[in-house]
Amino acid sequence: MRRANAVIGIVLACAAASSLPGQQKPPPKKKPDSMPGMPGMSSGQDSARKKGTTMRRARPPMKMGDSAMDMSMPVPMPKGMPMIPGLAGLTPPVASFLPGTGVDPKKLQVAKPTRVMKLADGDTLDLTAMLVRRTIRGRSFAMYGFNGQVPGPLIRVAQNATITVRFHNRIDLSSTVHWHGVRLDNAFDGVPGLTQDSVPAGGDFVYRVHFPDAGLYWYHPHVREDIEQAMGLFGNLRVDSPDPGYYSPVNREQSLVLDDVLVNGDTLIPFGKEAPDFALMGRAGNVVMVNGESRYALRVKKGEVVRFFVTNVSSSRTYNVSFANGASRAAIKVVASDVSKFEQEEMVQSVVIAPAERYIVEARFDRPGRYVFVNAIQAINHYIGEFEPRIDTLGAIDVGAGPAAPDYRTQFATLRSNDAVKADVARYRQYFDTPPDKTLTLTVATNSLPLATVQFMNVDTAYFAPVEWVDGMPDMNWLSTSKQVRWILRDAATGKENMDIAWHVPRGSVVKLRIFNDPKSFHPMQHPIHLHGQRMLVVARDGVATKNLVWKDTALIPVGSTVDLLIDASNPGAWMLHCHIAEHLGSGMMTVMTVD
Amino acid sequence: MIRTATLATVLVAALVAAGRGPFDIALLNTPKAPSAQGRARLVFAPSPFGIAVTPDGRASYDVEITASGLPDPSSLGAYSAYVAWVASADLHEWHRLGVVTNGTTTVGRAELNKFLLVITAESSATPALHTGPTVLHGTSPSGWLQSFLSHPLFRGIPP
Repeated sequence: MRRANAVIGIVLACAAASSLPGQQKPPPKKKPDSMPGMPGMSSGQDSARKKGTTMRRARPPMKMGDSAMDMSMPVPMPKGMPMIPGLAGLTPPVASFLPGTGVDPKKLQVAKPTRVMKLADGDTLDLTAMLVRRTIRGRSFAMYGFNGQVPGPLIRVAQNATITVRFHNRIDLSSTVHWHGVRLDNAFDGVPGLTQDSVPAGGDFVYRVHFPDAGLYWYHPHVREDIEQAMGLFGNLRVDSPDPGYYSPVNREQSLVLDDVLVNGDTLIPFGKEAPDFALMGRAGNVVMVNGESRYALRVKKGEVVRFFVTNVSSSRTYNVSFANGASRAAIKVVASDVSKFEQEEMVQSVVIAPAERYIVEARFDRPGRYVFVNAIQAINHYIGEFEPRIDTLGAIDVGAGPAAPDYRTQFATLRSNDAVKADVARYRQYFDTPPDKTLTLTVATNSLPLATVQFMNVDTAYFAPVEWVDGMPDMNWLSTSKQVRWILRDAATGKENMDIAWHVPRGSVVKLRIFNDPKSFHPMQHPIHLHGQRMLVVARDGVATKNLVWKDTALIPVGSTVDLLIDASNPGAWMLHCHIAEHLGSGMMTVMTVD
Repeated sequence: MIRTATLATVLVAALVAAGRGPFDIALLNTPKAPSAQGRARLVFAPSPFGIAVTPDGRASYDVEITASGLPDPSSLGAYSAYVAWVASADLHEWHRLGVVTNGTTTVGRAELNKFLLVITAESSATPALHTGPTVLHGTSPSGWLQSFLSHPLFRGIPP
């Protein structure tokens, strides 16, 4: 038995040694990724190798154009979480950038709330990315908006309509517009270096956008999303089915665009100019916003049923939102997600939504008084090694005493089975249990991170939460840039990574893609994986078949999970597959799947 | 000797398998049932979303227990079943999951941030309280979260 114990000890020691997460190695020598999502940027890794990447000690405010921006400002740390002393005084090895350098925010147009633009088939819309003035926590900042609005115009079209969008780039960066989730003509997908050249500041581009699927979509730039999207360039697309009974009747409809902004006192935390900062976990804001405002408000009558069109446009944050009324919560009916309705409607108490995902849900407010719209999550305090419940108040729904008319109580209580979706999905069931055609592993390589970051990451390895809901270590995160961090999609069959993968699949094929999020990487983290221009089903998670299917374009892959996606590769062209955490995309976590 | 080596191989395989990822729990036996072995796997509860959580954000897992070598519960005393429990780390909060037998069983749902998984012999399959002897137990992966309160890194001293 003693010998058996010795064997166990050796094997376990070997297993531990061979899988030590956080063993920091230089990234393998390979040609740098081309960065179609990030024009004007060199590959961070390449840059790091050529020049060396050293952290900077704090220095006087740096001059950029006419304005001075101080990159040595402390990033707000979570309550009870001290900064690691070894990181004090360091700054990211990038120049800083904020929109509208040299522009007095007071002279900018004040951002307006979104306006609905109903467009008919064949209509044309002028869409201008521009500087706007936004007020957050009582401070005015130069930020971005489409047509002066944040969110940008809510574009409503009929299913199967085609519209023309004349895009005018009037911001201080090059840009494009990506029509997220829409299975449109590849030429208008908005990916610079892949489907078009980026549109320089002052330039224009004409998109023709066809909408084959009813539902909720959104548009945003595909250039430096970590800056442009985070600073306000996003808007919804709502595609209406010709079937008047497509959704259940409700008393009203509301859009909820969830976003967050990182501010510290009087300033926005600047962005990395030549490379994204916050590369480890993405930039998580400390001001959570709904429809561009820090407090959402709605008044309804008792018993009203409201259909909410929810979109997460945050760079990194995954939300768990609900409507709390004292100790209870409003019942929420989940109706649809990215590219279709669910096979079967179901009731939930909260909605989990990762970056870029959409959910269409309905809620009935049957008690007079106030329902608080909250994001409730469990943060991890890495200092004391404990979970800490955290609740962000996003807004309030005040319910009056008067009864709602009409009364949709019965319709709300009815969980509809969507036969059309079931029939559509049924055509793909023959592929559900087939072996995966392709397998990706999600991991990360780092180089030249601050010593204290490496030391901490090397010892804090015993547990990683499936989802990192908040930035628990913003000091380490801020200091990491895409010069030092390379997020990786690795093809298990070939060992190729990111843009070197370059898959080709025949048009009309059904591709089963298995994605494994390696929990033993240097920094395991969830990844919302987005595939452009196609639709896909999440057919299994961790070997468990999905019971209630819905067509998606973005799927959350928690840490340690294995997720099977079934891709309906029906739309020809070269399409991006990438993590939708903006800083992960900016750190290389992307590839192209060409449907021939 | 062969039996010892075989046992070692089985134990190593079980422990290595149990250490596969953030969803695995190695179950340890007690002197009450030294032949018992087991592991648990945390499987996300069904959800229309990318991850199953409670309204306040705690992960929601269905607990799947694989056990072997459990003796007949009556061999330990006046007991008729093995029952799995989820207990908070401070042992203040206990939730009964379900009956465990040799083989693989999904016993119920765990929704605590950190928890202990405890399998006890009981006089019925649905006891209100845990009163019998513990035969297997383990800690949720989240239970291994480290504290850095006294770590040199946070005192400015490289480790």
